[in-house]
Amino acid sequence: MPERLRIDPVACDGVGLCAHVAPDLVRVDSWGFPIIVSAPIDRRRARQANAAVTACPRRAVFVESVPDGS
Amino acid sequence: MTAVLRSSGDPEPLLGSTIHYPEFGSTRHRAETLVAHQARLGGLPSSRGAAGAELIADLADCALAGRGGAHFPVAAKWRRVRDAAEWRRERPVVVANGAESEPLSAKDAALLEMRPHLVLDGLVCAAEALGAADAVLWLHEGATTVARSVARAQAERAAGSLDEPAVRVEIGPHRYLSGESSSIVSALSGGPALPMFRRVPAAESGVQGRPTLVQNVESLARVALVARGEQPPPTVLVTVAVDGHRSVVEADEGADLLAIVASVTGPGPLSAVLLGGYGGRWASTAELAGTSFDQAGLRARGLSLGAGVLMALRAGRCGLVRAAEIARYLADSSARQCGPCLFGLADIAELIAELADCTARRRDTARLERFLQEVNGRGACHHPDGAVAMVTSALATFRDDVAAHLRGGCYA
Repeated sequence: MPERLRIDPVACDGVGLCAHVAPDLVRVDSWGFPIIVSAPIDRRRARQANAAVTACPRRAVFVESVPDGS
Repeated sequence: MTAVLRSSGDPEPLLGSTIHYPEFGSTRHRAETLVAHQARLGGLPSSRGAAGAELIADLADCALAGRGGAHFPVAAKWRRVRDAAEWRRERPVVVANGAESEPLSAKDAALLEMRPHLVLDGLVCAAEALGAADAVLWLHEGATTVARSVARAQAERAAGSLDEPAVRVEIGPHRYLSGESSSIVSALSGGPALPMFRRVPAAESGVQGRPTLVQNVESLARVALVARGEQPPPTVLVTVAVDGHRSVVEADEGADLLAIVASVTGPGPLSAVLLGGYGGRWASTAELAGTSFDQAGLRARGLSLGAGVLMALRAGRCGLVRAAEIARYLADSSARQCGPCLFGLADIAELIAELADCTARRRDTARLERFLQEVNGRGACHHPDGAVAMVTSALATFRDDVAAHLRGGCYA
């Protein structure tokens, strides 16, 4: 199953490390909170995704399997 | 296997009459007693075991959709909870949501005040069909008339010694988002009544980790009719709001939308309608001319009944001013948990307020549009999405006013 990066918006405090370590997957909005840019994670971006998960001090970033059809 | 629903004769309406709520003070309606309720509809058949499976099949047959705002098919929701309960080997929790946090909506209150037994019947059906360990009716603080009506109904049921699962009434805080389903799940699990971000849906793991059904009270009232072998009435409970007054109308599905509005507002000209409540969408009366009142048709046009709210704007009132007031209310109602909602809605409210009072400059509209795009879909709940939809549709519906306001004047 393909995977995608997700943010728990309640846990997120807008620290911004995720956008720093995963620039191909995360950008920040006008208030400094992360927006996931491209949904599915290919092999090239898997390293960035894992870095974003590990970097988040609020443990707000996670990788999720994408169910078929969404 | 499936019982055939009766289709002959007129289906029983839910309310059958229009109920008016004045701006201040409450109305005094007489709730239907248990005796009158049972005389009108007959006793409630059990939904335990095989009867429960049959009820779910009947709910699927009549394509009953939820009336809390999302219009999700009821049978699919129940099956999800039932299946999760089966493989997790846990008894589910069922919750009737009567908190109606949408500020304009009054239809759930009207239903609970007038027909408390119909709602309690529906909750009992859900509890029996799903084998629930706990059945809760969730109300919010401040709904005193509703709470009184429900308490009286429960006393009647206790005195009638009905063979049915016990229903617990829980009162949540009087806050906009306390009726949001993840807020209810959090509160019933011992947490704050605030929306939660869920990695697993509540249908699988909700109240204290149990599979949980949260169903709007109007949906459950319809379930109570289906459980008796009736077709649910082809009606929608609608709150029509104008000039601070609200009326709850039981409208026929497919009726002319503007005629439903006019039945409350009278003949005076209207310029626009906000469909779906504060988190809904504006549409001009010109756009809505000839529009029939059914969710499928409205959805095809990017509109929704939501929880069944139609707020009319009288001709001569400025829609941008009204939209700015609502945006401010929604920004202030943020649960302040998610950054994009907390900061984004505040900035959006500020910009639309400047647009409304003619102090915005042209470049502010570009900023506003960027903020709207950035905030959409970014919360743990759909609160920010509703606010974005309301403001975005206001900018489109009142585009002539936007242009005039940018030039420093107001047509309205």
